[in-house]
Amino acid sequence: MSTRITSRSTQVLFVTLLFATLVACEKEITVDLPVTEARVVVEAIIETGQPPMVILTRTQSFFAPTSLQSIADAFISEATVTVFDGTTTHDLIRLCSNLLSEEQIQAAAATTGIDPAILANANICLWTSATLVGEEGRSYRLEVQTGDDFLRSTTTIPHAIGPDSVWFKLAQQQPDDDSLGFAWARIIDPDTIGNHYRWMAKRINLGPDGSPKDAGFIAPFFSVYEDRYVNGLTFDYSFARGSQPFSGAQDDVEERNYFKVGDTVVVKFVNLDLASYRFYNSFQNNAATQGDVFSTPANIVSNIEGGLGVWAGYGVRYDTIVCVP
Amino acid sequence: MKHHTTFVHHAVLLLAVALHLNASAQGARHTISGYVKDAESGEALIGANVYEQTTMRGTATNVYGYYVLNLEPGTHTIVMRFVGYEDGISTVEVQGDVKLNIAAVPKAIMGKEVEVIGTRTGENTEDTRMGTVDLDVQKLNTLPALLGEVDILKTIQFLPGVASNGEGNSGFYVRGGGPDQNLILLDDATVYNASHLFGFFSVFNADAVKNIELIKGGMPANYGGRISSVLDIQMRDGNEKRFSGQGGIGLIASRLTLEGPIVKDRSSFIVSGRRTYIDVLTKPFINPESAFGGSGYYFYDLNAKASYRLSDKDRFYLSGYFGRDVFDFRSSNEGDPNFRIPWGNATVAARWNHVFGPKLFMNTTATLSDYSFAFQAEQDQFGFELFSGIRDYGLKVDLSHYPNARHRLKYGGQYIYHIYTTSTVNVQSGDTQFNIDEPPKLHAHEAALYVMDDFDITDQLRLNVGLRLSTFAHVGPFNKYLLDDLGRTTGTEDFAAGEPIASYAALEPRISTRYRIDGKSSIKASYNRGQQYVHLASFSSVALPTDVWIPSSTNVKPQIGTQYAAGYFRDFLDGLFETSVELYYKDFDNLIEYAEGADPQNNGNTNYDAQLVFGDGYSYGAELFVKKALGRLNGWVGYTWSRTMRQFPDVNEGREFPSRWDRRHDLSVVLSYEHNKRWTFGATFIYATGQAVTLPVNRYFIEGRLVSEYTERNGYRMVPFHRLDLAATLYNRDTRTVTDAVTGETSEITRRWRSNWTFAVYNAYNRANPFFIYFGSEGNPGQNTFQVVAKQVSLFSILPSVTWNFEF
Repeated sequence: MSTRITSRSTQVLFVTLLFATLVACEKEITVDLPVTEARVVVEAIIETGQPPMVILTRTQSFFAPTSLQSIADAFISEATVTVFDGTTTHDLIRLCSNLLSEEQIQAAAATTGIDPAILANANICLWTSATLVGEEGRSYRLEVQTGDDFLRSTTTIPHAIGPDSVWFKLAQQQPDDDSLGFAWARIIDPDTIGNHYRWMAKRINLGPDGSPKDAGFIAPFFSVYEDRYVNGLTFDYSFARGSQPFSGAQDDVEERNYFKVGDTVVVKFVNLDLASYRFYNSFQNNAATQGDVFSTPANIVSNIEGGLGVWAGYGVRYDTIVCVP
Repeated sequence: MKHHTTFVHHAVLLLAVALHLNASAQGARHTISGYVKDAESGEALIGANVYEQTTMRGTATNVYGYYVLNLEPGTHTIVMRFVGYEDGISTVEVQGDVKLNIAAVPKAIMGKEVEVIGTRTGENTEDTRMGTVDLDVQKLNTLPALLGEVDILKTIQFLPGVASNGEGNSGFYVRGGGPDQNLILLDDATVYNASHLFGFFSVFNADAVKNIELIKGGMPANYGGRISSVLDIQMRDGNEKRFSGQGGIGLIASRLTLEGPIVKDRSSFIVSGRRTYIDVLTKPFINPESAFGGSGYYFYDLNAKASYRLSDKDRFYLSGYFGRDVFDFRSSNEGDPNFRIPWGNATVAARWNHVFGPKLFMNTTATLSDYSFAFQAEQDQFGFELFSGIRDYGLKVDLSHYPNARHRLKYGGQYIYHIYTTSTVNVQSGDTQFNIDEPPKLHAHEAALYVMDDFDITDQLRLNVGLRLSTFAHVGPFNKYLLDDLGRTTGTEDFAAGEPIASYAALEPRISTRYRIDGKSSIKASYNRGQQYVHLASFSSVALPTDVWIPSSTNVKPQIGTQYAAGYFRDFLDGLFETSVELYYKDFDNLIEYAEGADPQNNGNTNYDAQLVFGDGYSYGAELFVKKALGRLNGWVGYTWSRTMRQFPDVNEGREFPSRWDRRHDLSVVLSYEHNKRWTFGATFIYATGQAVTLPVNRYFIEGRLVSEYTERNGYRMVPFHRLDLAATLYNRDTRTVTDAVTGETSEITRRWRSNWTFAVYNAYNRANPFFIYFGSEGNPGQNTFQVVAKQVSLFSILPSVTWNFEF
């Protein structure tokens, strides 16, 4: 959990250094990178009371074209996907975005994190089940066959441990600021080591355009943690507000990181197994430290045999915060 | 117990060898011995040549200025030669042992700039030492320096076989070795981190330093504990004749050195201080309300030394270094953390020289080395601390024995008690203090015995053979964490104070030989093997407080370095040009690195070695060196061709990969030209193959966010690095005219107060050298404006500076 502070600190440190020298300059360069074979990336989740959801893509060369179509081309639409729950093997069914209504596309975008424009303009598929929902304490084996690639992984949905309580508190970064703040949670960690958490939040009050401020749950950077240093403790912890990827929304520019008085925030508290924790922890570091000279380049730690990505079991609890000063 | 037996066995063996040589060292000769000192300041001169004129057989003074010559009875003419000084010639009647202290007279003040910056003449082809360079620090002032700050470590980077770690960095990497493999000694005390924050400046204030010796290969047996190089730095003793001083005012720092006799001709002191004032200079321009209000960075250094001559046989020296970096960052930017990074080095060395007789010289040194850093940050009620450090208490005894003209023996022993604080963290959120154990302290004993003989087998063949026995033991008190299969802590195993946890011992052979073909050329070869019991593990590519010194223990095996080298050395035009070609192959075992994705935050509540991975490496290369030692124009050209590879089972999927310090080509030119008595010009040029870096090869999206896939470790090369720096130094007139009031005659007298201006241009042709490359993205995929870009950041564009120096 302190990664956020070290990583941010080193960035600030570096900027300060550049200011101190007043002489640094940067320029865009072309880099001739080696071409390697594309690998299959799995983004698959099964959570308490919900059917599994699987999205498959392929890696692209870092400097591959970046048009909407080129990015959509990374999605895989032909695959056989199954989940074994310990007793039954479920063949997952494919749902593709070309069959969805405008409303369903918005909903799918909110759940998957895929930009609605991509969902609307290309045929993006995901796999789910009508017969299987996640149960806490159970393990699930995922198998994917696509082209010549065979991938598999097993995950467990841990028993969920919700926060004891959640509230809003003004950050008061400026003394006269009476509207911006963070979400807080009192967390009671059980006395057994090996609990891993992820925090996500969604503002459900309406924004200026008449729709909810957030379409889906957003995990801010540095919201994944374990109980290495907090085993058996009761403690209060603050969470910043995350933004949608590539967001240029007004509030993500002016009120970045903050919730605001008047917001109603639904908090999704996720428990992860160790492998999923390692994935999300390395994912947030990889995504947040793009271009950070001080961090050693590190790949995301996948739990997928034969590919990249994650098959994660989410033990989930929800709570709601009404932001009042 | 087994180790103890082996230890005793080896110790006995070593002593037997030493005694045997002692016994065989009978001869009908007598000795001439004494000290060579500067006649004006009384400063001992290191490496001055002293020889008998007819036979040309001679020696060089040791680091205390002491020499011994063995001669037949009779009348001899003894010559002392040292650059920057008039030749000293003495006629001595030798009937028994003779004591001869030599006061060397400096040449005319301006004349000394004509002399060479690097090694002293004659040694190139004569000495058995290979890959060794001496630098006279006082002569570096005429070379260009970044922001006018003369930096001895950056000058070292211009030598063949020595690589730098990128723009402006004072870290150095010798023949493929890591930064932790350099033994840096300041008056015999180990300096653990020789850089100030970010590595732009080294901790050594050139005004307080007398002499530097860098040993890249053929490390003699009296040095140990590091496997790549030795950088032996001697502080000045201070003027024992009169009170004097020197100093300088530069763009970012000022220096002042004061020295003088405590008791004239018997004892002296020197105190030298330096402080940067970037913080003071920038403060008026920073609005206290702004994002950077309340921030500041500065460092200071203080060197002090006192020496006392009790008698002709006994001398005492007490020296110390104290330096500190303070970086404070207080941001009013919302959400930015505030942090503070205090770190620093301190060393103390107390030395006693004793001359038992003309043939036996002893030095005993007690040392203290301390290095510590902390990183304290807070953000939104969330506090975070990271700290680490090392403290050494050392004692060593070195004996130099000159039994006869053919043997020069050294033997001695060393003991160090280490206390390491390996990296740990401390976290709190609001009022809740997280459960993190006290920082683990590791205690270790390190001891060594050595013997070496520099032996003239024939007039052509000289052999330097040495053996070093080193031992290391990690002892309690210590709590070792017990981990389960998933790497989670389940409990601890506790060791009581003094209880052995892991111990190592090794015999380290050191052999180097010189065969003189004729008076102008020689061939040299060396083999040495060494063991190192401390490792530096780094989370980042620049000198940051997250680098941690880690001792050997149960899992972390000692690093082993083996080096083979051979070279051809030749002088041209009566020693005007000294040249050499050296080839080396170096093998490294038991190197450490942090595992991919390791994070300093995970160092708490687990073993200090939990995040490490282990591997091997090798390096080979060829070094060419041409030096013009004398004349108005002097300097050197060095070229290195080399290859440095690493292999770790858990890094890069076990495939071999180039080290970050792998440089195929490395060319450097250092020149100094004395135009006239008032103007001296300096220039340096460097060209090096681009640094190997790891770049993302593929991209993909997780939860709609762009992430990278890395494939080959250090698989990409940045563009080559090259840079030209220029300097011009203007001296004020060193004499003034006085008119005798009575006679009306005018005469020139030497000024007591002298000063000079150094004008320098760093990066003269404004090359944008890469400091690092980063990848980023712009735009939004949904709006079809998404783009990925690679950007290269360069640090220093063309950068003029001016420094004013004075001395009195």
